[in-house]
Amino acid sequence: MFLSQLYLKDYRNYKQEHLKFNPNLNLIIGSNAQGKTNILESIYLLGTGGSHRSNIDSELIKWDSKSFYVKGELIKREQSYKLELSLNNKEKLVKVNTNRLKRISDLVGYLNVVIFSPEDLNLVKGSPSLRRKFIDLEISQISSYYKHQLSKYKEVLKHRNNLLKDIREKKGSKEVLEILNTQLTDLGAKIIVKRIDSLNKLSILAKLIQRRITNGVENLELKYDSKLDIDNQSSYEDIKQELIRLLKKKEERDIYRGVTTVGPHRDDISLIVNDIDIRKYGSQGQQRTTALALKLSELEFMKAEIGEYPILLLDDVFSELDYNRRSHLLDVVQDKIQTFITSTDLKGLGKINSNYNLFKIKNGSVMKEER
Amino acid sequence: MRYYAQPLSELIGHLSKLPGVGPKTAQRLAFHILEMDKGEVKGLAKSISEVKDKLTYCSVCSNLTQQDPCHICNNPKRTKDILCVVEEVRDIIAMERTGEYKGLYHVLHGAISPIDGVGPDDINIKGILPRISDGVKEVILATDPNVEGEATAMYISKLLKPLGVKVTRIAHGLPVGGDLEYADEVTLSKALEGRREI
Repeated sequence: MFLSQLYLKDYRNYKQEHLKFNPNLNLIIGSNAQGKTNILESIYLLGTGGSHRSNIDSELIKWDSKSFYVKGELIKREQSYKLELSLNNKEKLVKVNTNRLKRISDLVGYLNVVIFSPEDLNLVKGSPSLRRKFIDLEISQISSYYKHQLSKYKEVLKHRNNLLKDIREKKGSKEVLEILNTQLTDLGAKIIVKRIDSLNKLSILAKLIQRRITNGVENLELKYDSKLDIDNQSSYEDIKQELIRLLKKKEERDIYRGVTTVGPHRDDISLIVNDIDIRKYGSQGQQRTTALALKLSELEFMKAEIGEYPILLLDDVFSELDYNRRSHLLDVVQDKIQTFITSTDLKGLGKINSNYNLFKIKNGSVMKEER
Repeated sequence: MRYYAQPLSELIGHLSKLPGVGPKTAQRLAFHILEMDKGEVKGLAKSISEVKDKLTYCSVCSNLTQQDPCHICNNPKRTKDILCVVEEVRDIIAMERTGEYKGLYHVLHGAISPIDGVGPDDINIKGILPRISDGVKEVILATDPNVEGEATAMYISKLLKPLGVKVTRIAHGLPVGGDLEYADEVTLSKALEGRREI
């Protein structure tokens, strides 16, 4: 799978730009604040329908314009797809091969993207919500039913939290709470089953990659971290019963606090290297290596699930990695994954063996140099 | 001239309170009304005020009606021992269009939704109970297949089960006449979950 062309109109700081990409490696070089990340963002947008940096679509429009338009040509299994996305008067429109899609989310699945940006280095030491988001996004890209269940779960959760507050103020009904518990535990157990299943697969891949980066010194293990008494073999029924038990146990406390304190929305992924939980006790370097291993295992995971590698966007992360990790990263992606790398200068990238396209960015305009 | 004459701006004000009508559309509608002939305008105004005066809710099923009980509850040809529970009056029309259903209805006028502060006492759930003692043998729960509708259906079934009445939920899944390959993944997964033995 690779993106062969990209056309931008009134997008961020680009007036109009037409880029032709190398199916292998594309380097985007420029000083700070020239628009390097904007290019990656627009590619991410074509993959997921949304930006990785902002939830407000209107921010993506060039400041002196009222609409933007992004078009990309995707080559997948020797077939070409034309993906289009535009925003006009707050109306977002997506088209695939000139046919309009009913929902923006229907775009997901054509162009699979994995992005690695400096914020991802926080994946290991940051808050649990980042790791939940990581696993959820991962599964959502391969299963739209999971995405649907997740949004339903969040909806029921909102209802339940509201009801808990009502009950605290003696307005709500306990019978309705029972009903919401039934809905919540059913959806919650389905989500946890899917997460554990994906994590089992991801764990094997991440372990292998971590060993390779560290020359066999570090053994990484991923585990589903939950207040529930479950393990990686638990069935849907086990998890559901366990959720019911804990919800009951914490009910009074939940009513008092007005929030639901058990369930997949409170779970985490524990990252263990050589028996040490590196979320808390890892060195900076270990945390970085692990973040990289997680991201690379994401690539392999998607390859296993959908049969093809996604494209990889590396936003300014090369400067954060040492020589060993950089060369390992390039080794992994070489000749099989279309990769886009942004950097302030070429020197920081080290030695590159494969052929690539070079784009020099200056103030919203692009100069291409072939290598 | 920055403002319209008072009667016109008043009309625009009223129209823009309607759902789906913004200030621009309200303005267009108001000018259209202004250009209509007098008889038509009178007819429109009359039907707007009559809809409020002449219609009431059926004392049995809460359907909108001109006579009480409504024409469905009153119809001797309808099967009296089967009851279909729906969220809105609109849903009755949808069910009636099938031509398949010959029983009675019960309109809840909403669904349980704690986010909006709607509890079981705020919708017409209690009204179902006297109807069970009137000889209803089966209750079909036809609330919407979303979170609120499912919660409402579960609540009602819990309430009715002890009374020994048969409670059923309408099925959801694949649309009829469509090809399997055209169904979206969510619908298909849902249909797979709700599969049954034949």
